[in-house]
Amino acid sequence: MSQAGTAAAPTLYPFEFRGTGSAYFGIWIVNLALTIVTVGIFSAWAKVRTRRYFNGSTWVAGHAFDYHASGYRILIGRAIALALLLAYTLSTHFHPAIKVLWYLAGAWLLPWLANSSIRFNARNTSYRNLRFNFTATDTEAFMAIVLWPFLGLITALILWPFAQRQKDYFYINNHTFGGRYFETKFPTWRMYAIFAIGLGVYGFILAVLLGLGFAAMAVLQQSHGTPFANVPPAAVGYIVIAMFYLPFLLIAPAIHTMIVNLTASGTLFDDKHRLESKMDPLKVTGIVISNVALCLVTLGFYYPWAKVRLARYQMSKLTLVASGDVDSYVSEVFDSQSAVGEEIGSVFSFDFGL
Amino acid sequence: MIVGRYFFANSARFVPARASVDDKRILKITGEDGGSLAEAPLRQVKITPRLADLPRKLMLPDGACFETLDNDGVDELIGIARHLVSGGWMDRLERSWRAIVVSIILASAAVGAFVVWGIPALAFQLAMKTPDWMAAAVSDQTMTVLDSHYIQATEISEADQAKAMRIFEQVAKTGACAPHVCRLLFRSRLGANAFALPDGRIVMTDAMWQMAKPEELAGVFAHEMAHVRLAHGLQRVYEASLVPALIVVVTGDISQIGQMAVILPGVLVQSAYSREFETEADRSALTTLRKLGINPAVMAGLLERMDRERCGDRPCGGSWLGDHPDTAFRAALYRSGR
Ligand SMILES: [Zn+2]
Repeated sequence: MSQAGTAAAPTLYPFEFRGTGSAYFGIWIVNLALTIVTVGIFSAWAKVRTRRYFNGSTWVAGHAFDYHASGYRILIGRAIALALLLAYTLSTHFHPAIKVLWYLAGAWLLPWLANSSIRFNARNTSYRNLRFNFTATDTEAFMAIVLWPFLGLITALILWPFAQRQKDYFYINNHTFGGRYFETKFPTWRMYAIFAIGLGVYGFILAVLLGLGFAAMAVLQQSHGTPFANVPPAAVGYIVIAMFYLPFLLIAPAIHTMIVNLTASGTLFDDKHRLESKMDPLKVTGIVISNVALCLVTLGFYYPWAKVRLARYQMSKLTLVASGDVDSYVSEVFDSQSAVGEEIGSVFSFDFGL
Repeated sequence: MIVGRYFFANSARFVPARASVDDKRILKITGEDGGSLAEAPLRQVKITPRLADLPRKLMLPDGACFETLDNDGVDELIGIARHLVSGGWMDRLERSWRAIVVSIILASAAVGAFVVWGIPALAFQLAMKTPDWMAAAVSDQTMTVLDSHYIQATEISEADQAKAMRIFEQVAKTGACAPHVCRLLFRSRLGANAFALPDGRIVMTDAMWQMAKPEELAGVFAHEMAHVRLAHGLQRVYEASLVPALIVVVTGDISQIGQMAVILPGVLVQSAYSREFETEADRSALTTLRKLGINPAVMAGLLERMDRERCGDRPCGGSWLGDHPDTAFRAALYRSGR
């Protein structure tokens, strides 16, 4: 492994998102209308266009990314996912005990589905005429997606940050571009630190909310108590869920941002080039909250601008720190690749996500 | 002639280049010095569909690629072979204000119709098909929470309980609820109240027994039995998951924005559905009372007394977020008899 940065002075290439809310609005609303008219079938093509717009609007070092998936394959993927869901629902409806079998099958099925989707999207993403790829085995996927989270859960979340690290390692370290690997590496304690901060802030907000909540309950009990309500506990349940869920929603964007900063900034490509993500978790939280507020006020029509605003900020804080001139590096190293693109169509991989 | 960059076959290496198409529909890529870089029949070239002002790609069969920002130029270049490019119509729609306006109207109408008719109809179908053991499980859960935190054992005497039971059975016999489904339970606390659980358990509080006359009690039971018979409780459960599902479909993502944006509209839509259920239950109670030969107007008296108990002389008023329509509306319904 060569020492990064010794051969040549590092050159900074900032990422940039050039998409606009108004252009994406047209894409979003027209595709939504077509999805409705076709009873959901067009949603597969809508997804392709959306993803292509976001990839194609993301620029770094003078080139944009691109997305090449075909709507048909996404449609097939969704049909399979829907069939599985139907099979699950129907079989458990008639034989509730069959659930156990499904959970066992799910432990195998889930990693396969995840692998397949990530691989599909990686292979359909290009930059400078070259494709990305994802090379994880199903066993690796099983460890990262089923086993580690499970261990994280049964150890009362003590292992959860470690499981999160395993998941990030799985996702990033199996991605390749032009046959060369990305590799992220960071000390586990930093992931623990992020979750510790999250837990602290969550506890604080929860305490404040519970305090307010009890005060509100006391007032409500005097004035509310609707006459013979239809399942009043439902209302009580909502309040309780909201109390515990709201702080979680509030801190989720910040936690997610800190994790992205950590994993991206620890990422090396081809042992030479680094990524650097310097998003401000509070700023992201502010953007997300104001986005939600504006979406509500505009009955949802602000959504395209919301998505673009977030992408702009995220990309503006992402930098490629290349050792030397990235252009000559790419031209030399990635000249004449074996035709990875050729076999893409023949491999069984679909996107099962939304 | 359009200007762009030519990427060599399966390579990230590129040179500035120009592209043109000759009379025989052959795509020709030339370097800046005029030397030929590549040639291919247009029908073998994969041209990416236009999308906003994204770079356009002409992908040659050997893995080389010509990329340009000149979208109009590409359209012109391939004008004679437009049928080779799929998806061009999408871009024209996405940038036409007419199509956008039509889409806005169509999407709003569809989403609106789904919220107003689709979700309630779907929730009703699902609720009717829900197996009894599931309804029982949900009810057990609720009752456990209630018993441990919110309500206590009743202090009503056995004799009074028997009296209430008799009224309950009489109401059930009119067809308001199958006798083996609906059961009456007594609990204290929670003020004057009665509520129904999905599996047919109907809970009445001590304060309600003390406040309501026998005729009014029949009305209360009839109302709660309607909730059971029409599976209102289960419908609420299904509606609670259909509203977020709709938002995921519309936005196409399950991100935090989506999740956060779900809550408020979810609560608003839910309480609107809930008020509809209450009116439905009130109407049903009205019919049941008539069958029993009781004037439904007595219920208006009960509702108003309960309101005074809670809020004093000023009316409590309806709440936008409330689960129930306001008392004035409900009282008027019982008085009008319709
Ligand atoms: Zn009711």
